Amino acid sequence: MEYVNPEGLRLDGRRFNEMRQIVAEIGVVSKADGSAVFEMGNTKVIAAVYGPREIQNKSLQKNNDHALVLCEYSMAHFSTGDRRRQKNDRRSTELSLVIRQTMEACILTELMPHSQIDIFLQVLQADGGTRSACINAATLALADAGIPMRDLAVSCSAGYLNSTPLLDLNYVEDSAGGADVTVGVLPKLDKVTLLQMDAKLPMETFETVFALATEGCKAIAERIREVLEENTKQLEYRRAA
Amino acid sequence: MTTELVTPGDVIGKASELKAGKGAYVNDTTIYASLTGTRRIVSPLPESLDQRAIVEVTGHKAHALIPEPGSVVIGRVTKVMARMASVDILCVGSKAVYEKFPGIIRQQDVRATEIDKVDMHLSYHAGDIVRAMVLSLGDARAYYLSTAKNELGVVSAESAAGETMVPISWTEMQCPLSGQTEQRKVAKVGS
Repeated sequence: MEYVNPEGLRLDGRRFNEMRQIVAEIGVVSKADGSAVFEMGNTKVIAAVYGPREIQNKSLQKNNDHALVLCEYSMAHFSTGDRRRQKNDRRSTELSLVIRQTMEACILTELMPHSQIDIFLQVLQADGGTRSACINAATLALADAGIPMRDLAVSCSAGYLNSTPLLDLNYVEDSAGGADVTVGVLPKLDKVTLLQMDAKLPMETFETVFALATEGCKAIAERIREVLEENTKQLEYRRAA
Repeated sequence: MTTELVTPGDVIGKASELKAGKGAYVNDTTIYASLTGTRRIVSPLPESLDQRAIVEVTGHKAHALIPEPGSVVIGRVTKVMARMASVDILCVGSKAVYEKFPGIIRQQDVRATEIDKVDMHLSYHAGDIVRAMVLSLGDARAYYLSTAKNELGVVSAESAAGETMVPISWTEMQCPLSGQTEQRKVAKVGS
């Protein structure tokens, strides 16, 4: 099947290095300490952060002088075409672990000993790139909650189809059988916190795809920064009034 | 006072010129922001040895409010045992916490003098509101608290008759309804 036509347009009309439209909003769950909705094209994810608060299950605490970060990823039953998902299936467990490790590396956990930070991620609409959207939503929610972080953890995916590296795959492109590289970075510190790949790629191709995904991450970081600054200005404006 | 909006990861200074305050952290020789908010420079205290100015980021969310060693907290006594009293920490400083933290006051931390002769039941009763200082993070179960200062101890207690008692001395409180005095480790309120 042709995923990139001879003019260089993909199935949804994007070019190889174009991301899908991003819509982001914070403060959407009023009961949570921090929350955010993050959309990448048709993929829509909601994140809610509770913390830092008292540890609920002391047996989980391994390190007394660091905060405990817990993460739960789940997909709504209506998020994909066929009503699916029994709870705790292997993919959800794996993604919960991966996202938890990414965010834990970014949060300054040593500033909040004896406490716990809960990150809840719910996929409302799945159209490829859900783990990237979740990491971006979690970053926004943590920043909204005022939890100190090293940098903004951002994530983006890229793939390789019809001999072309493609940025930000949607579900159809992801299911095509080509490689799917998900990258998570701390843009200002220039560090990689997540790197996952499905399928196989030759090394030079991998370098190109990885570089493309990192570029996408930098663009998302800019957008997240804008959303946070806009929100802060709104809060200051309302306070002064 | 120059103020600018920063987000986590933004460079806000050099470690050689400034010190990292709240909402900032040092990596190598650069100071980065860790919160979203306004960047402010605070001048150092005249008596401190390090005369570098402090750069801090003030966020908008009030929490991350947790008891720290040295902070004064207000809590309610939940259980009194032979050698310690359990306390639910409700406020840190002047702000209420979102969720209670467990704390304990050990027999040796009730007061400063004759610490081995302390009778826990003559110092606290379940339901008393106490002002205490956080000694340390304690063990896995609770913070260690101390009331071994004049201004620390029971600030409000109910008598057996159900009325709020009036403090008489640092060891006694009296019920206005029945006139009965009860023994507590009372906090000295006022100057």
